[in-house]
Parts: sequence; C-alpha cells; structure tokens
Amino acid sequence: MGGATESELTDIEKKNSFLILTNNPLVAETLGERFLIEFLDQKSDIEVLTLARNRVHLGHRILTAPLSGSVKPGETPYRSLMMTAEADDSLDFFSLGNMERALSVLRHQKVSTRAGSSAADLDYQLVDLSLIESALPSLEAAGLA
Amino acid sequence: MKLELGYIDIRGIRFDDYMAIEDGILVVNPKELAEAVLADPLIKSARLEIANPGESIRITPVKDVIEPRVKVEGPGGIFPGMISKVDTVGSGKTHVLRGMAVVTVGRIVGFQEGIIDMTGPGAAYTPFSKLHNLVLVMEPVEGIAPHDYEKAARMAGLQLAVTIGELARNLEPDETEVFKTPRISESFDAILRGLPRVGYVMMLQSQGLLHDTYVYGVDAKRTLSTLIRPTELMDGAIVSGNCVSACDKNTTYHHLNNPVVRDLLKEHGKTLNFVGMIITNETVYLSDKVRSSDWTAEMAEYLPFDGAIISQEGFGNPDTDLIMNCTKLEKKGIKTVVITDEYAGQDGKSQSLADADELVDAVVSTGNANMPILLPPMERVIGMLDYIDKIAGGHDGSLRPDGSIEAELQVITGATNELGYNLLSAR
Repeated sequence: MGGATESELTDIEKKNSFLILTNNPLVAETLGERFLIEFLDQKSDIEVLTLARNRVHLGHRILTAPLSGSVKPGETPYRSLMMTAEADDSLDFFSLGNMERALSVLRHQKVSTRAGSSAADLDYQLVDLSLIESALPSLEAAGLA
Repeated sequence: MKLELGYIDIRGIRFDDYMAIEDGILVVNPKELAEAVLADPLIKSARLEIANPGESIRITPVKDVIEPRVKVEGPGGIFPGMISKVDTVGSGKTHVLRGMAVVTVGRIVGFQEGIIDMTGPGAAYTPFSKLHNLVLVMEPVEGIAPHDYEKAARMAGLQLAVTIGELARNLEPDETEVFKTPRISESFDAILRGLPRVGYVMMLQSQGLLHDTYVYGVDAKRTLSTLIRPTELMDGAIVSGNCVSACDKNTTYHHLNNPVVRDLLKEHGKTLNFVGMIITNETVYLSDKVRSSDWTAEMAEYLPFDGAIISQEGFGNPDTDLIMNCTKLEKKGIKTVVITDEYAGQDGKSQSLADADELVDAVVSTGNANMPILLPPMERVIGMLDYIDKIAGGHDGSLRPDGSIEAELQVITGATNELGYNLLSAR
C-alpha cells in the first residue's frame, strides 16, 4: 500500500474511463446503458473479485472498495466493483492489497451463497446496486459519469 | 458551549386515552400516536406495543432505537435538520427521558435487521433490554421502493420520539448533569499543560441504501470530514439511517449517548485534555476514502492532537477507512487507539478485520460478532419472525420450530457496538 499511489488516484481517473465488473443482474440492467459493464452472469462473489484481482496484475486499478457495504460475505452473493477500463504500465499495489485482503475474507467464509438461492435475493441485488450507485456522484463530480 | 441534561427517570409505560408523564410512568395514547404515523401515505399500518425489562418478549426486526429528548432552553431543537429547524444545537438545557426508548420495527429489506430480547441469554448482549421500550411496528404500502420506506420509517421514529420527549418539557428532572465543550483556545490553558491533547475521530456509516447516517439532515456520504462539538450529539445532531449489521451499527440512541464522548468529557482536565472531535464518513468510492482520511489527519494535526481514539461503524468496507484513518494519524505522530469489533469466525481463529497495518497496534475490541448464540423462544414476538432466516448471522434453519433461534451474535442489536455502549465487558 503506497501513499503515493493513493494520491495518484484522481489523475488516473481522469486518464481512463471505467468499467463495472458485476455478477448482479440488476446492476447490469440499471446501469448498463450508461456505463461499460462486464456482467459475470452466475459467477460467484469470489469469481468476480478474482477476475478483478487478475486485472490489477495487468495494470488496472480499482475505484471502489471490493467489500463495499457491511453486508456479510457469505450472505449476499452479489459483488460489483468499478475499475479503470485501461491498463497502466505499472502494478498498483494499493489495489492489489485491497483485492487480496477482500478475497482472503471471502475465502474464510463457511459457505458461499448462490445467486437466486435466497428469498431475499432481490433485496441483495438492490443493496449492491445502491452501494455501487453511491460512488456515481463522485464520478460525476470528476466529470466521468 | 455548555449543555445541561436533565434526566426524567421513566419507570414504566402504559396506554390510555391521554398522554402525560405521571410519577415516572409514561402514559401514551397509542391510537393518537399511530394515526400521526399513518399520516404518511407511504406507511400502510402502524401499531404501538410496550416491552419492559425481564418480560418474555422478542422485538424484531429492529430498525432504530431512539431516546426521547426535548430542548427546554437554548437554540434549536432535537434532531436538527431532520425534525427541528437546522439551527446549531448543543447548548442550553435538554430534558432526557432516561430508562426508555422508542424502538422502530419493520422490514425495510428481507435481511440485516436486529433482535432485542427482553429476557434470557440474548438480553445480556443488548443494552436496550434494560429499557422500557415503546415499540412502533410499521408496514409500508405495496410497491414502495425500500429507500423511500427507509426514510418514512426513519422519520416516523424520530417524530414519535420528539412527540414523547415534548411531554417532559415542564417536568422537574430527577438528576442533572452539565457538559462543557471547551474552545480550542482553552485547550492551551496553563491548567491543562502537561496533559495529553486527545481527540476523538468518529466514523459514520455512509455507503448507500441501509448504510446511511445524517448530520444536521445532510447525508454523511456527501460530507467532508469536519469538526463537531460533542454536546451537539446529545441534542440529536447525528441520526441513524442505517439498517445494516445490527450488532455494530450506531442507532440514534447510541449517537445521543456516545460513551466515548462522555468518558472523554469526564476525564477532561484530569487525565487528559479533550481537544475536540472529528466526524468522518465511510464511503464506497476509494478516492472519497482517501480524501476523508486525509482531511481527518490534517485536522488532527492542525488542532493538534497528541493522541486520538477512532471508533468505527459496521464492518468490511469500513475496515479500509479505519486503517487509512489510523495509519495517517500515526504517520503524523498522533498515538491512536481504534475501537472496533471482530468477525473472527465462530471459533474466533480467523483474521478479525478485512484490512490491517502494522501501525494499527492499539485496538479495543468490542467482541466477536460471529460468536454462535442460541436464543430460546419467547412468549411474545413484537414485529415479525419470518425474516429471521435472512438476517445477518442467521442461516437457513436458524429459526427452529419451537421459536428458538440459532444464530451468531451479530443478529442482536447493539451486541458489539463499536462505541463500546455495551453491558458486557472484560473490564
């Protein structure tokens, strides 16, 4: 985790547009027309974050917290994450550290909830959508959304 | 800034066709109160119930817990920017209905809402089992969006608490306490020299639906880290719009009775010099986290603090804000202690937080939210049990046929509150 990397975030955002990685159909449906979405249908929360982690190794940076919300891992199956759409030449250790810690938390859960398996499924989708939407005003302020 | 709190002790609640406080008994007209709630077209049904300490009652799903108060002298009113006008509060005189609470109950979404047991093993884990609770059970009209209903339920609870608080306006308090918030200039007085300059950093949930907190009516996720005087909290400057993680969310009751604030004010001039407090948010967007934690650290250095206490709210994503805040303070030479709870697995062996740093080396834990707990059946349920299987810490089958609940500590409202407002401790 480098402080210098943190302070570079704003510049990075201005250079690159972003995309949303998600396994949440409601995010894909609601935000799909306005933003670049990579919809990972039927993928688990770990699979979504693993893909994001792998992208970090290719030079992408994460723009939102991977464990957004205080909804318990292993309870909600839905994860959405904003990343830079274009890769940089260097590896962002701030992003990598965050992704690895988040994956570590998910891997320690006893069970991974499957999408569609819970009676509260739509509510999980809605809260995940709300969490990722809460980042939009900041993106709009930066002229990105 | 000086605030006098006059405590009116409430020893019971009863229903009648009028409203008053008589010899420590709160008398309310449930029909009149319910009708006021139903004036909001978004709320389909509203009813009031009473739950007293020791009774075999389970209250669930709890949304918020609110202590009724009334401003009797000085500027502003309780819950500024929400119920009262936005004038700055925290000075003058406020009456507190001590020993009771308004508890709002209702399903906002089908998970994530808490339990208050008034007796049995679960009662030991929540401070609200020791209060006389006036419970407002609500249901929304069909087809309403959860965020609209959250707001309606939040405002109904706050308004009910203000209505009840108003009954104490002209009463003589059973006890009075005076709290003074010194000016920054006074923190340099000769009498305080030699005492460590200590500040408090309070983190507020602010991530979106079910994860929000309001400061003078402003959604905290759209705020910069800022200074607030501790007595402003005692008049309701900060209210909860947070339904997530029952065990470690700060209800409005917690904000009104913040024990970190009380202890720091109590020790001011004795063991430490309480310079001030900073409120800061917990956001989803990483640049916002960087900005908020930078501002917190800059302000702490500006005042300056020698040492700081940080309290977190929630878990997961906020762990990142917690670590950022703490490391940035430490890098400025400010010795920092964090208050947090743990999600260390049912056996307590997993890593407790989702983030870590070697500079975060002084931690007060308020408990392991994953600890398994068996809650025996209660004779009466206020609210609804049909969502128990979905609430945080529950799992399929957690509601047994006999009405008992097998779950984790995190289902209980306030069980691992990260302000330390708890009944159990290792002290």
